[in-house]
Amino acid sequence: MRSNQLFVIGAVLLAAACGSPPAPAGKDGGGSAVGASQSIQLGGAPAGAGTLTADVGEIEPADPAAFHKEPGYSPYAGRNYPQRPLFGDEHVHTAWSVDAGGVGTTISPEEATRFARGEQVTSTSGQPVRLGQPLDWVAITDHSDGMGAISELRGGNVEMMKDATLKKWHDMMLAGPAEGKKAVMELITAQSNKKLPPALTDPKFAASMWARNIEIAEKYNDPGRFTALIAYEWTSNAGGGDNLHRNIIYRDGKDKAIQVLPYTTFQSENPEDLWKWMTEWEKKTGGRLLAIPHNGNLSNGRMFALTTFGGDPVTKAWADERQKWEPLFEAIQMKGQSESHPSLSTTDEFAAYELWDRGNLTQTPKKSGQIQYEYVREALKNGLKVEADVGTNPFKYGLAGGTDTHNGLTAAEEDNFFGKFPSAEPRADRWNEDALKFGNNPVVKGWEMTAAGYTAVWATGNTRAELWDAMMRRETYATSGPRMTVRFFGGYDFTREDATRTPAVAGYAKGVPMGGDLKPTPAGKAPTFLVAALKDKFGGNLDRIQIIKGWLDKDGKTHEKIYDVVWGDAGKRKIVNGKLTPVGNTVDVTRATWTNTIGAPELVTVWKDPDFDPTARAFYYARVLEIPTPRWTDYDVAYFKTKITDPKVPLTTQERAYTSPIWYTPEK
Amino acid sequence: MRIRRILGEPMLHFLFIGIALFAVYSRMSPGSRSSGNHIVITQAVVDDLVTQHTAARGRAPSPIELGHLLENWVREEILYREGVALGLDRDDIVVKRRVRQKLEVMAEEEAQTTPPTDAELAAYLSAHLDRFTQPAILSFEQRGRSVLLPHRMLEMPADLVARDFGPSFAQALERAPIGAWTGPITSSFGVHYARVSARTPPVVPRLEEVRDQVVREWENDRRQHARDESYAKMRAGYRISVEATLPGEQR
Repeated sequence: MRSNQLFVIGAVLLAAACGSPPAPAGKDGGGSAVGASQSIQLGGAPAGAGTLTADVGEIEPADPAAFHKEPGYSPYAGRNYPQRPLFGDEHVHTAWSVDAGGVGTTISPEEATRFARGEQVTSTSGQPVRLGQPLDWVAITDHSDGMGAISELRGGNVEMMKDATLKKWHDMMLAGPAEGKKAVMELITAQSNKKLPPALTDPKFAASMWARNIEIAEKYNDPGRFTALIAYEWTSNAGGGDNLHRNIIYRDGKDKAIQVLPYTTFQSENPEDLWKWMTEWEKKTGGRLLAIPHNGNLSNGRMFALTTFGGDPVTKAWADERQKWEPLFEAIQMKGQSESHPSLSTTDEFAAYELWDRGNLTQTPKKSGQIQYEYVREALKNGLKVEADVGTNPFKYGLAGGTDTHNGLTAAEEDNFFGKFPSAEPRADRWNEDALKFGNNPVVKGWEMTAAGYTAVWATGNTRAELWDAMMRRETYATSGPRMTVRFFGGYDFTREDATRTPAVAGYAKGVPMGGDLKPTPAGKAPTFLVAALKDKFGGNLDRIQIIKGWLDKDGKTHEKIYDVVWGDAGKRKIVNGKLTPVGNTVDVTRATWTNTIGAPELVTVWKDPDFDPTARAFYYARVLEIPTPRWTDYDVAYFKTKITDPKVPLTTQERAYTSPIWYTPEK
Repeated sequence: MRIRRILGEPMLHFLFIGIALFAVYSRMSPGSRSSGNHIVITQAVVDDLVTQHTAARGRAPSPIELGHLLENWVREEILYREGVALGLDRDDIVVKRRVRQKLEVMAEEEAQTTPPTDAELAAYLSAHLDRFTQPAILSFEQRGRSVLLPHRMLEMPADLVARDFGPSFAQALERAPIGAWTGPITSSFGVHYARVSARTPPVVPRLEEVRDQVVREWENDRRQHARDESYAKMRAGYRISVEATLPGEQR
């Protein structure tokens, strides 16, 4: 298997790198990769005491445990902070989703959950498939609209077949992919015109499918080892195509989830009504819910508009509701990323990444002026302004990543990418097909799909309540697929020494983690940030860590600045005219391989804001970039020996992670 | 060649009949298209195109746009009929797969009626011990180059240790002596020294301890097997003969 070969190459190179001469020790302002040093000899004739890092003292050959003089040495005392990032997908569709089952997806929620847990399944196109590594948790988020009705329809449910329209759609679905797609289009059209046959919207179908969905989650939920979160997607396509979708994630299990059916867009397309439903649901059941919106990039300016759904000016009450129900935003998935856009962040050399920026969900072209209300970095900035104006920040979003797969397979690894629909499962020409085609609107091509992403959750344990609580406090980060470990803490007292030890100990003791809030100090001290990242064990080395700051000035204008705070190959790279020397590129595109001979496996640093203004509202988040590695299109080239002739098609990618921000709020 | 043998199977005739039935049905159902080389654009067709356009664009099509939509619809209809006349739908692997899937789902639903007996579960457990064996549980400290890898893990299953450190590290810990620092041990991140403070070996559970999981896996297997069993039954009713030269053979 390809990933095994890469693992071997990576491991050999890492082992070789371990014997290399020491890198220069960290300096202020960046450039401090974890220092290389001589290997330690223990157990047997000591070849001499060595040090792991320059300034922590020597190891007694007899007992390296004396090495770490951490405060509160007892390993069990006070250790209730999160210790392992738990990786999962909060966005999976299966055959039970209207637009997945309708185009032939055969993977049920049960198989999709088994796949996420690491089992092998057979994909819709008949190919055996398995994740390179199991996920820690998954949320199956089938659409609440027509939930399960589609599989009843395809299966020829006797009651449904009494309706002539439903019978016709049933036959079309069985007559082939073209007919099936037409049936789905007719169904979507009928839904948007409120002309669906009543049998399809009959709550009894939804009730039985919802109950079956919950049963599957209960069957596979294994506290401590694997969590199956109960969830669904509320799929608002406002005005016929402006994406305002939200995933609803339940904290609780069957007892509470079974009491109320999911909210649908037959009832409302307006997120403000969704929040009202969530309020009623919590009152009725005593449970907890949260919502995660996605694809700002396909909302044609509506996702982060500075007005309510109806176009009125925002109010504190509106902002309170939004902030209360929506702690996270899914910033990257198969339909591109919604973190940053080159037209908004003109000095960000990494913003032009996996862009889907031409239209909305049905590819109705964007109008000028819409993009600024679609990307979360701009929203984070605008949120500071709304807070200054009305008192609450409606866009106080932490970051998440998911796939939005519609073939049941949460497969975001570049060398294992099974695409969004069954038609995009691996085949030689999938890069060149029309992935999305609505009427005469511009087409989205297969190569534009992104092999992403996952959410890493810093939960105290792998259970529903602990994962949900961590999402609610925004202690999460999004990744484009790889499972790098990222820590990000903000406080006023971090020092260089804190970068040489376990970050969590100093981080939680002296600061707040990602998703947290900083209050000002009386002395107006500048905040310091402790940030660390460790590569995915099978993935590429790290290029650099950046800290992205956004703030509101006294004239009510927002700004952003990107700081490169630590990078690999520190001895060979420096910042000139505000740009860091690029890390290089070891990708061999003909074979879809790379080598971890550039960059670093781990980066840690402490950084202080050199441009801090204690009177300005601000946020900071970390973005971690890997070295270039092959993109899924390149793995297709190598596997199918196909020629990708279009120069627009990227064959390499720099995978990345974005943490939830830490917010700074000045005194009133 | 395998494919030729399959194409020779009477299953294909079964599919032809099925598709012919679908074709006959759709000709008889309301809103279906007229046959032969006369194409009728009915009100239903026009309404459909208008509502699809409206849903996508937020407004009804202009007369010129509607003209284009209708031309495109006619073009697709003509190509579809010409394709069907050439038998292109009969050789369509996706059509075949769809009918196959429907039969397999029917077989699975039939099989789901009876719950497993204790005897069946016990037999399943013995036959698949590797799936239910609980991995070794490790408590250890480690030191290496990374500051992010945990220095201590308490009562962690070996497979989760492998997820963080890599499989070779977990395996080394399963064999390491208890209480003493050992190394160097290689993980996916380089070299470590580790001390295992406690370890429980893998445990083969009794049925009572893992009953729910065994039932779940047993039912999952039955779902897979239901397809095979139902196919075996159908197969028994067919005679297959090969009337082709397979590559590598000589006549």
